[in-house]
Amino acid sequence: MTNITSEEIIETDYAIREHRSLWIDAWQRLISSKTALLGMFIVTVFVVSSVGAHFFWEYEPKKDLDYSLKLKPPTLVANEEVPSVHLFGTDKLGRDIFRRVVHGGWNSLRVGIVAVGISLILGGTIGLISGFYENMNMTSMELITLFGVTGFSLGLLSAWIAGQPIQAFLLAGLGVVAAAFPEFQKDKPTRMLIFAAAGGILLAVPALSVSKTTALICGLYGVLSGMLISRALDGNFFSSTMMRFMDIILSFPGYLLAIAIVAFLGPGLEKGMIAIGIVGIPVYARLTRSAVLSVIQKEYILAAQSVGEGHGRILFHHLMPNILSPVIVQTTMGLAAAILSAAALGFLGLGAIPPEPEWGAMLGDSYRYLASGAWWAVLFPGIAIMLSVLGFNLLGDGLRDALDPKLRT
Amino acid sequence: MAPLIEIKNLNTRFFTADGVVKAVNDVSYSMESGEILGVVGESGCGKSVHALSMMQLIPDPPGKITGGEVWFEGHDLLELDEREMRKVRGRDIAMIFQDPMSSLNPVFTVGHQIVEALRIHTDLTKKEARERAGELLTLVGIPGAKTRLDDYPHQFSGGMRQRAMIAMGLSCMPKLLIADEPTTALDVTIQAQIIDLVKNLQQELGMAIMWITHDLGVVAEMAERINVMYAGSIIESGKVNDIYKQTRHPYTIGLLGSLPRLDDPPGTELTAIPGLPPDLLALPEGCAFAARCAYRTEKCVAEKPSLVEVDGSDHIVSCWHWEEIAGKQANE
Repeated sequence: MTNITSEEIIETDYAIREHRSLWIDAWQRLISSKTALLGMFIVTVFVVSSVGAHFFWEYEPKKDLDYSLKLKPPTLVANEEVPSVHLFGTDKLGRDIFRRVVHGGWNSLRVGIVAVGISLILGGTIGLISGFYENMNMTSMELITLFGVTGFSLGLLSAWIAGQPIQAFLLAGLGVVAAAFPEFQKDKPTRMLIFAAAGGILLAVPALSVSKTTALICGLYGVLSGMLISRALDGNFFSSTMMRFMDIILSFPGYLLAIAIVAFLGPGLEKGMIAIGIVGIPVYARLTRSAVLSVIQKEYILAAQSVGEGHGRILFHHLMPNILSPVIVQTTMGLAAAILSAAALGFLGLGAIPPEPEWGAMLGDSYRYLASGAWWAVLFPGIAIMLSVLGFNLLGDGLRDALDPKLRT
Repeated sequence: MAPLIEIKNLNTRFFTADGVVKAVNDVSYSMESGEILGVVGESGCGKSVHALSMMQLIPDPPGKITGGEVWFEGHDLLELDEREMRKVRGRDIAMIFQDPMSSLNPVFTVGHQIVEALRIHTDLTKKEARERAGELLTLVGIPGAKTRLDDYPHQFSGGMRQRAMIAMGLSCMPKLLIADEPTTALDVTIQAQIIDLVKNLQQELGMAIMWITHDLGVVAEMAERINVMYAGSIIESGKVNDIYKQTRHPYTIGLLGSLPRLDDPPGTELTAIPGLPPDLLALPEGCAFAARCAYRTEKCVAEKPSLVEVDGSDHIVSCWHWEEIAGKQANE
């Protein structure tokens, strides 16, 4: 029998060993995976170079033009023909591709963050609320708030059609009224009729001052919204309505919908971000909802209720941290997808407006010169897209393993 | 003295796609302060649901309390809105649950969760609450309580977690503690420890305890009074001795008869109650137990018996044939 020294006991005894928090634990699992480290390295290089270039390396795309340097291959030393060093060569306007690739990173990073931010915030909120109230009784105050917000969001469309912000507030008011009197003519067709009529009148009357056609469109929209508002009296209905709406968005091919939205909003990197963000909403909504549904069944949620905790506390304090890991993973993967989508839009000429440096647009500008041998003009932006997407995907995979060891295969 | 809590004709229904599940049917009883009441019955007989109904913790939809009153300190709890009800939960009535593995939130330390429960109902500062949490953990018998506050639930064993849950339940010194099968998920030695702990705490702190279980052995040891539930109704209720010695309902007789006994010779088969409990979607018109009952007559199938007093004590039973059963028992 071997003797164990007291130091060894302390090393091995779990109860005595200093315990690590979830995040430190996850971090250690993350850095123990080689692929995750590679992903983290690529992402770090990408982020540092993009941010650094934006703030410390001046570049004015509008003035960057030199036909004498048109489509020069990569040079490592300056020579007679090419007096300046171009690591990645130059493009059809004689612009340094290295510089544009590095600066394009800033645009890709922005697209990724803003688009994922839109999807995450809107989708996450929808998912959280849907999942939560599918299982919790709403208090009257919550019902009123929810309906006010729903009415307001519904009203935004007609407000935009008629150009009158008041429309959104009118529908918000109708929502509040509907939620404040849930018992009024409950389960009778009268209720729906009254709210449909109220919605129609509320939206049509102010729109009359614009034109009769607008009034008609807004009125019809108001009738539909009124019907919806009159019906949605519980969390279950709210949730299934929201989820069916998400299904509708999902039923469009992602790129096609993004292109349609950009075509509708007009070109530009900012519009592209919004389009990509909207397309991503259902993914996050469904993910958070399913995560909430699985966590909310746990007994600790019931236990939290039984000690008298309120809904807000349960939602933000007990549910959020427990659903965080799948959301973090999806967000990381989503950044890759958003960068790829932005490149696709740029390639089609729907993203960044030239001469703004953007990887997809650079590809779109240069692929025609591939036949004449200018491989560098396509290769380097392509590699940049591939590497950044690969980096985020590897990091996301690593995070999934690190945050949820049970899922590891 | 007025009872601590009085439940009158409580009815809870679940409105599902298949129909209306009659989970709790006309349950009425009262509890004195400081009393230990055992609620027994098989799975799905409504024992947990009726406790959750008292706390208004039934998920709605599909559940709904369709009638009844729950009088507690001069208020009908069922009339309170969510905001007022939150003040009752945890402060006046606390609850502990069956599965200690899942009733603590895995992402927070045990101490954090007890502190949180304390701070909802008291004005304690974080520091004071932490100190109090340490005292509570000591009270429920967790060694080294001060250092254990910073442990996560996964670092606790099942028994310790249940102790921590009890500490959380006791944090605001409730007048009633509802224990919903708190020992079912634990092994027998830990069960005995938890039962002892709760009994001691009850004597020390004097709160009333409702102990929900399907384990007749456990309630015999702890409770003063027992409610036997079947298909959402109380079918027999009385002092522990009356229930065990002068059983009057055929279902209770069946339950007690199906317990294994130490003095049975080896190889004796357990006697089971034949059949299955009725479908709560379609309760029979007469006695819910009639289909499985050896004493069944036409009257049982046609007409539902109501709770009647037996032998003049507060032992009540809902059976048409209790006198016959009493006579038979007297002959034995």
